[in-house]
Amino acid sequence: MLDTALLTLTWRVARKRLIGSTPAIVAGLAFPAFVAWVVFDHSYDAAARIFYFLLPYAFLFAAQDAVRTDVESGALENVLFTGGRFRGFLRTKGLVAAAAAGGYALVLFALFSAWGAALGAFRPSDLIRLGLAFLSGLYYVALAGVLSHFLRGGSNVLSLLLAQAAGVLALLFTVSSRTGLLDHAASGRFPGLGSKLLFGGLVAILPNVVVAGRPTAFAAEVLAGLVAALVVHERLVRRLELRKGRSA
Amino acid sequence: MIEVRRLAKRFGAVEALRDVSFRTTKGTITAMLGENGAGKTTTLRIVLGFLRPDSGAVAISPGRVGYVPDRPSYFPWLDGWTILELVRAGLGGRAGGRAGGNGRDFRPMVLAAARDLLFDPGLLRHRPGSYSAGNVRKFAYLQNLVAGPDLLVVDEPYASLDPPSIKAVRDVFCGLREAGKTVLLSSHMLAEMERIADGFVVLRRGATIAHAGLREWRLMRTARTAPDLETVFLRLTGP
Repeated sequence: MLDTALLTLTWRVARKRLIGSTPAIVAGLAFPAFVAWVVFDHSYDAAARIFYFLLPYAFLFAAQDAVRTDVESGALENVLFTGGRFRGFLRTKGLVAAAAAGGYALVLFALFSAWGAALGAFRPSDLIRLGLAFLSGLYYVALAGVLSHFLRGGSNVLSLLLAQAAGVLALLFTVSSRTGLLDHAASGRFPGLGSKLLFGGLVAILPNVVVAGRPTAFAAEVLAGLVAALVVHERLVRRLELRKGRSA
Repeated sequence: MIEVRRLAKRFGAVEALRDVSFRTTKGTITAMLGENGAGKTTTLRIVLGFLRPDSGAVAISPGRVGYVPDRPSYFPWLDGWTILELVRAGLGGRAGGRAGGNGRDFRPMVLAAARDLLFDPGLLRHRPGSYSAGNVRKFAYLQNLVAGPDLLVVDEPYASLDPPSIKAVRDVFCGLREAGKTVLLSSHMLAEMERIADGFVVLRRGATIAHAGLREWRLMRTARTAPDLETVFLRLTGP
């Protein structure tokens, strides 16, 4: 049963943290400003591609500091979290991060699609891209939640970004020249098992690519990854203990 | 009421608890005593649900469990008022402590509790990270008074407190006892524990080696077998 008081508590803690975070506010304002600049400087279609591709990052950045930082800070050793309630708090944090990022994404989508409608450039298929962006975003929240059991601070997010950068560079400098992987990604068709597996590996660390391409089996991979990450996160939370100064 | 039965807990190769058992009754103050590393904090953490025992069990009567740790910490981005409001919001309908329940009464009741604890309410506008160690501890007590616990568990109750604050906190414990609440303290301050506790649990190397209620304690005192708690403690834990 949903503990609404715990949900309220978690929401208040997370909200205070987000509105007190200068980098989060700067990033939250810079993203729509950048998209607007692309609309003015290029076209609505170009801006839409960037908008939907980058939208999942709102979820990723909302999911930093999920577990280990709180555990090690000692802040969970509090009257609010006795009786194992700290586990419920850590579970609810992911939900709250997803809700906060989802709300932000929906507001931006409403503004952006209204702008597109006014220009006559909005397409109903953009709703599918929005859905895929949400799927990728939720995957990010779940994956960052798992990583945050082992990594402090925002290093769960940083490690994912580094993995993405390394993955994309590796593809650009090695694979794409031989297999045309990026061309296949753009078309959504992969001729052989090898290229399918390579792209599947990229999707695991950069799920945004399913937003850019056609919805294929790789969207199902993101969904499966989301479920797997949620299961792992739940198992880790269930066995979590608050030891002196470190998680167990 | 708390009933602890045969708790055991290992941290890797370290056996923190091997056989801890005791029982407290409603409306009493129980002091848990023991040398450094005896297993007091681990026992408290299991009672509070922060750790799981490898074996054994803890039974606690239904009700809210409060906690003042030896080194209280808070989310660093929240000020004192916000943290107290979180107690009211986060415990939902269960918030019925001195300052719980009616939102209109919240602020004056917090201020009254702060006065009782000799805590400067002006500090509540700031983050607890900027408080002195003593004020951090008093704020932890304030948070628990707002929550209104049926069982209050305190690790090192007087650490960092000045003498007037020690008296104020002692009065809080006695007030809770008079209100029928249960208090479990872990402390090395034997004279102070002797002054307020109704029962004692002595741990050594992860096991209970003595457990005396008020009646047994008085009998021991009457029989002059135990002139004071310090003597008893040193006899029990001596080589």
